[in-house]
Amino acid sequence: MKNGNGTRRVVVTGLGVVTPIGLNVADFWSSLQAGKSGVSELGGFPLDDLKILIAAQIKDFDPKVQLKNYKRDKIIVHADRYSWFAAAAAEQAVVQSGVEFPLENPYRTACIIGSGAGGLTTFENAYRDLFIHNKRATNPLTLLRIIGSSASAHVGIEYGIKGPTFATCSACSTATHAIGIARDYIQNDLADVAIAGASESVINYGTMKAWQALHVLSPQGCFPFAKKRNGTVLGEGAGILVLEELEHAKRRGATILAELVGYGMASDSQDMVKPTVEGPRYAMQMALDDARIEASEIDYLNAHGTATKDNDINETKAIKEVFKNAASKLAISSTKSMTGHPLGAGGGIEAVACIKAMQESWVPPTVGLDEADPECDLDYVPNVGRAMKVNYTMSNSFAFGGLNAVVIFGPPPA
Amino acid sequence: MDEVATKIIDILKKHMKEPRDDINLSTALTDLKIESLDLAMIVFDIEDTFGIEIPYNANEDVGDFKTVGSVVDKVKGLMAAGPAAAKA
Repeated sequence: MKNGNGTRRVVVTGLGVVTPIGLNVADFWSSLQAGKSGVSELGGFPLDDLKILIAAQIKDFDPKVQLKNYKRDKIIVHADRYSWFAAAAAEQAVVQSGVEFPLENPYRTACIIGSGAGGLTTFENAYRDLFIHNKRATNPLTLLRIIGSSASAHVGIEYGIKGPTFATCSACSTATHAIGIARDYIQNDLADVAIAGASESVINYGTMKAWQALHVLSPQGCFPFAKKRNGTVLGEGAGILVLEELEHAKRRGATILAELVGYGMASDSQDMVKPTVEGPRYAMQMALDDARIEASEIDYLNAHGTATKDNDINETKAIKEVFKNAASKLAISSTKSMTGHPLGAGGGIEAVACIKAMQESWVPPTVGLDEADPECDLDYVPNVGRAMKVNYTMSNSFAFGGLNAVVIFGPPPA
Repeated sequence: MDEVATKIIDILKKHMKEPRDDINLSTALTDLKIESLDLAMIVFDIEDTFGIEIPYNANEDVGDFKTVGSVVDKVKGLMAAGPAAAKA
């Protein structure tokens, strides 16, 4: 069945997440419902002279347990942590989808799993070995752990995927670009099924120093849209979807969770850190036009909402320009108030939050929002989630460099 | 078997998916079902254990490593030559 544009329709049949507030969708959702924050004291490596001492780290992930079902890909447990997260989230999504991989024609499947930075912790450890411990060589697996396409390759090997398999890389928009590209491949008849999303795990000494030097991290917590906000908090994790062509899903009697109805992207082409209103506005409008719906039809918007001074004001302005009169009626929240900022993985985790919101008729809150910034004057669902009918949801991802990507999910086609 | 041989066989077993107890000096490496990545790990471990560097390129046939015994001989030769010789 084709949509009004005469194109193939793309639906979501599987969800998977690994987050600081839950290692699977059920636990993640319970944490969102409880307004639980994943931000905690930084640990797991020598902190030395670090000044920022909090992060939203995943502290209970055991790859031997989480990846015990990986059969074809024999070295996954030796891979970088970012690949572990991707692999675990992908497995959840695949199991939920019920798709039996490999497909009869494995060239009709895609695996697009991005990462903002790949295996940075492996990099750091290897360089510590070489430069500090004067080791004569790196571990032989170092290179494979580092490369930013290793997560997509590992998952692709496990599920026998022989079609388009690679990583996207657009900083904090990485996952949303991956999901959008996968949608396009299915829509354009290059694939019938795709595993798409992103994974990130970069919380280490060097990365913390680099972020610290940019002066955008909060020493206290991640409080999007709040007057008290003073920066973002680094997080980590993965968010992965199984996307499928509608008829393909119907033929095998799959449970369809949502339709991916719109995708938009635009680059500010302006500045590495100072966002424009125009870029995010264009990306949101493009996604709405693609979905052929009006802005007023969006019930819930999962904001990029990083809790930096610039992003939250800028995003609020862009939302107002796109939604006009409907902006004040729109339920908006930033789940980063609970997950921290999972960087490249953000859009994947937030896509899952959007789809769950539709299924559960409940939108997650923005926690820590005791007093809003006067310049952030929309409805950010402060502190307590809200039971409401959610027909269409929009998920915003905006990145350093001004790289904007937006997806819209709608109800399963009747 | 001497200490070098015992240590090398232990390293081989550590990296084998299905370690066997019947490995001896005449066992052919091809019988051990060692995959390319495992080989890289094995070479790395042997180098670390004996403080040597084994000149080897995964793109080339490795004539010196046909049997476990040939690996042991090669390692002993490199140890006698010292680390400088291995680099040359």
